[in-house]
Amino acid sequence: MDDILDERRFRELLVESDDMQSDAMRGTRHDLNAYVAAAQEARFESRRDLRLGGALLGAGALGAAALAFASPAAAASSQDVMALQTAAGLENLAVFTYKTALTLPFIGGSSANPVVKAFAMKTMQQHTEHGQAFNAAATKLGGKAQTATDPKYTPIVQQAAGGIKGPEDVVALAITLEDVAAETYVADIGLVSTSDLRQLFASVAGVESQHKAILLAVQALLKGGAPQLIALPPDAAMLPAAAGSVGFPDAFFPTSNAAPVAEGAVQ
Amino acid sequence: MIRKRTQKAPEMAISERELTSMTAELDMLHKETFPGVAKTLSEFSANLAHLGSGRPTARRSFLAGVGGAVVIGSVAACSSSKSGGGSSTPAAAGTSSLPKYTGDLKIVALAAALENLAVTAYQDALTMAGKGQFGTVPPAVATFVTTAMKQHQDHAAAWNGVLQKAKLPVVTGAPLTITKDQVAMLQAAKSVPDVAKLALNLENVAADTYTFATANVSDAGGIMTAATIQPVETMHAAILSFVLGEYPVPNTFWGDSRTLKPDMLTA
Repeated sequence: MDDILDERRFRELLVESDDMQSDAMRGTRHDLNAYVAAAQEARFESRRDLRLGGALLGAGALGAAALAFASPAAAASSQDVMALQTAAGLENLAVFTYKTALTLPFIGGSSANPVVKAFAMKTMQQHTEHGQAFNAAATKLGGKAQTATDPKYTPIVQQAAGGIKGPEDVVALAITLEDVAAETYVADIGLVSTSDLRQLFASVAGVESQHKAILLAVQALLKGGAPQLIALPPDAAMLPAAAGSVGFPDAFFPTSNAAPVAEGAVQ
Repeated sequence: MIRKRTQKAPEMAISERELTSMTAELDMLHKETFPGVAKTLSEFSANLAHLGSGRPTARRSFLAGVGGAVVIGSVAACSSSKSGGGSSTPAAAGTSSLPKYTGDLKIVALAAALENLAVTAYQDALTMAGKGQFGTVPPAVATFVTTAMKQHQDHAAAWNGVLQKAKLPVVTGAPLTITKDQVAMLQAAKSVPDVAKLALNLENVAADTYTFATANVSDAGGIMTAATIQPVETMHAAILSFVLGEYPVPNTFWGDSRTLKPDMLTA
């Protein structure tokens, strides 16, 4: 494979990328803290309602009072925790997959395409931070952190890993995971109970979809027998016409492959 | 030290038939995703119909605006824009002293205007390219522009469909305070990278705006419409960044600092 990367410029871009990510993280930490504060307040109000209900109706009717005064916030918060845990499980699986991929010579070795290698490393780091953010929110809401990988897709990854023969297999697997994650988070935007959490899922969905876009473009170039065109900057004149659109196949991002909210909930 | 590439790579091993097949598949995927979104928008419209009278809604800071004013490139906000029917002419400002769009519907109108601006930018870029103003345009870039433009047309149609069902005027053209300067920047573009940078800016603004909207629109259908469009804009941005030689996924969390404020809608 030809060496086609301006290594100094590429390192500059990665440093710029890290700076931009740090700036974005500040905003996200603020959003997370605001969300957690709002949800904790909702849970406090829920418990206070239960106590008041019990005092008015007497001990014998406490169960009924609890039902009568149980706040929708409690149920919403439970679904929120499950959504966050499922998301963390998907992120853990993505980290595992990229980490495994980087042990393969054609992804992480000295002969690997440097752009692909750098992308895998950076993306793995981003997924690590996504998982940390989701787990931080889940635990602050009283749930447990999800430290395992998604139960549905882990066997799929393990099976696929055993049959990997080249970079195309890795890219195909990565596309599946990025797509499931992005679709799940888009769906979760409509399921979670607070605006701060909706924004959190949107902020991660936007990035997973970008991972998918780049992987689709890389896949097209690999399938077209032109791995040398996976370069930064690319030789745009040599890219096939289809490369310009293969990265975004849908006008509206689908959610048909979204993981159910309880899929990765901690039992 | 990895040396810069100085020689052109060999031709891509992809036939015209394969390219046509991939394009047809892309078109099919696009058509398959639209009906689901149309359903979401119908529900959104039904819920918003009662807001057509312009009753204001109390909501978090979207209506008050976020952070500082959004600056697009070197744009200074204009206070109004004129009507016009051409693709490169900013659309009508409201002539009535009473705003036509309020609450969630103002956000819908803002989104439609922003999508129209993106369509305008891409259409004008194609026209200018056809006149040879950018030199040789790589086929992949032409495909990107054509496909992204069509997706933005679909987005605009979706938002305008909501306005129609709420018996409000559809947004034609791009009645935004930023339009005049964006058009001027495009007309001053001399190269494909100039156009790509402008397009990247617009995609980032759109994605930021939809990210914020997911947290601040009150209607469930509106939230999900913003949620399903945002990832597509971020995917456009990723591919544009890649073509420009920039790292395509620099942010771990997608932010909203470039969100358009509702008072930037001049209709």
